[in-house]
Amino acid sequence: MLQRETMLIGALVTALMLSSSLFAQTDEHGDDLSGVWTNFAIEASRPFQNSALRGDPPPMTAWAQERYAQAKPTFGSKSVAVVETNDPVYDCFRPGTPRIYLHPFPMEIIQTPGRVLMLFEYDHTVRQIYTDGREHRTDLAPMWMGDATGHWEGETLVVETVNFNDKTWIDREGVPHSDQLRVLERIRLDEDDNLLIDITIEDPVAFTESWTGQRRYRRVDWNIEEFACMDNVVFAEYEQEILNYDPNATQ
Amino acid sequence: MIRKIASVSCFALGLLLFVVGASAHHGGAAYDGSQTITVTGEVTKFEFINPHVLIYIAVTDESGKVVEWSGELTTPIRLARMDSGGAEKWSKDILQPGDEITLSGNPARSGAPSLRLRKVIDSHGVALIGGTN
Repeated sequence: MLQRETMLIGALVTALMLSSSLFAQTDEHGDDLSGVWTNFAIEASRPFQNSALRGDPPPMTAWAQERYAQAKPTFGSKSVAVVETNDPVYDCFRPGTPRIYLHPFPMEIIQTPGRVLMLFEYDHTVRQIYTDGREHRTDLAPMWMGDATGHWEGETLVVETVNFNDKTWIDREGVPHSDQLRVLERIRLDEDDNLLIDITIEDPVAFTESWTGQRRYRRVDWNIEEFACMDNVVFAEYEQEILNYDPNATQ
Repeated sequence: MIRKIASVSCFALGLLLFVVGASAHHGGAAYDGSQTITVTGEVTKFEFINPHVLIYIAVTDESGKVVEWSGELTTPIRLARMDSGGAEKWSKDILQPGDEITLSGNPARSGAPSLRLRKVIDSHGVALIGGTN
């Protein structure tokens, strides 16, 4: 009797191991991208890596040009002081995708079966990239960070993100996008174990043609710490004092 | 002794300075990046907080008037992660009220006694950020 139960348990364990193995194969992938990553700008992108995906404004439609003209960013050729900006991030809305990459904080990639998580230090923003073969959801309202699905092509994680609202900017310099934005990413390790993200932006409402950018990250042994956006709001009081300073009123 | 040693000079942008000056949450439109001012005084307040570390010092000008200057750095976690090159690492306790320190940075365009900091030299003459001299 005992022997029979032992055999039954053994069979169950074997079955579980097999199913686990089969499950892993359905989420087949190459490199392990897990780890904490910090920006490691490619030489050519260093002049603008803190605020844009490219060195010059992308090819905007008249629709986008109109919104770009109204934008008051704190970075780039038309930058204003923080107290004058209309950048939605200063109201603590999510930065959007791919703009989240431009905020100079590290991010952690957590790779699990069926899902790759990107945990950004900036306001603890999370991207969930589903790699279990699901389709994009069509039942939800547009989102700040979009709806991301991915699959593996060899060693490369290919991600498609759609279903954005039109309230975020593509970058920190005020370039807008519409709710038709589609962000394609190819994420992989290079020969030096750095993380490369090739980004293609498609948005027929905002841009006359698709365009690209690239980000590079290096591994670090840091923890993801706290950076709460609301601290920016509090800090605005200090900035307001500086901007409104009247030397004649101070004795 | 608290004294002011203000000087205006051209600003040389080194890699380290760029790293230090790269603001986490905004550009530097409120500050004049083409000028650098240096002031020395006693720490009155040190706030190791997000989004920007703030250092306040009491500075006595030529007429004997004491003015409180403030200096703005990047985020505390970026400072804490910085390679200190063997010097004391940045932390919430690295500066204490009463420490006589020197701050260099870009002045506020409004004329406010505020700097976007490029260099901080502690009471022992050690550059905590922005170089060795």
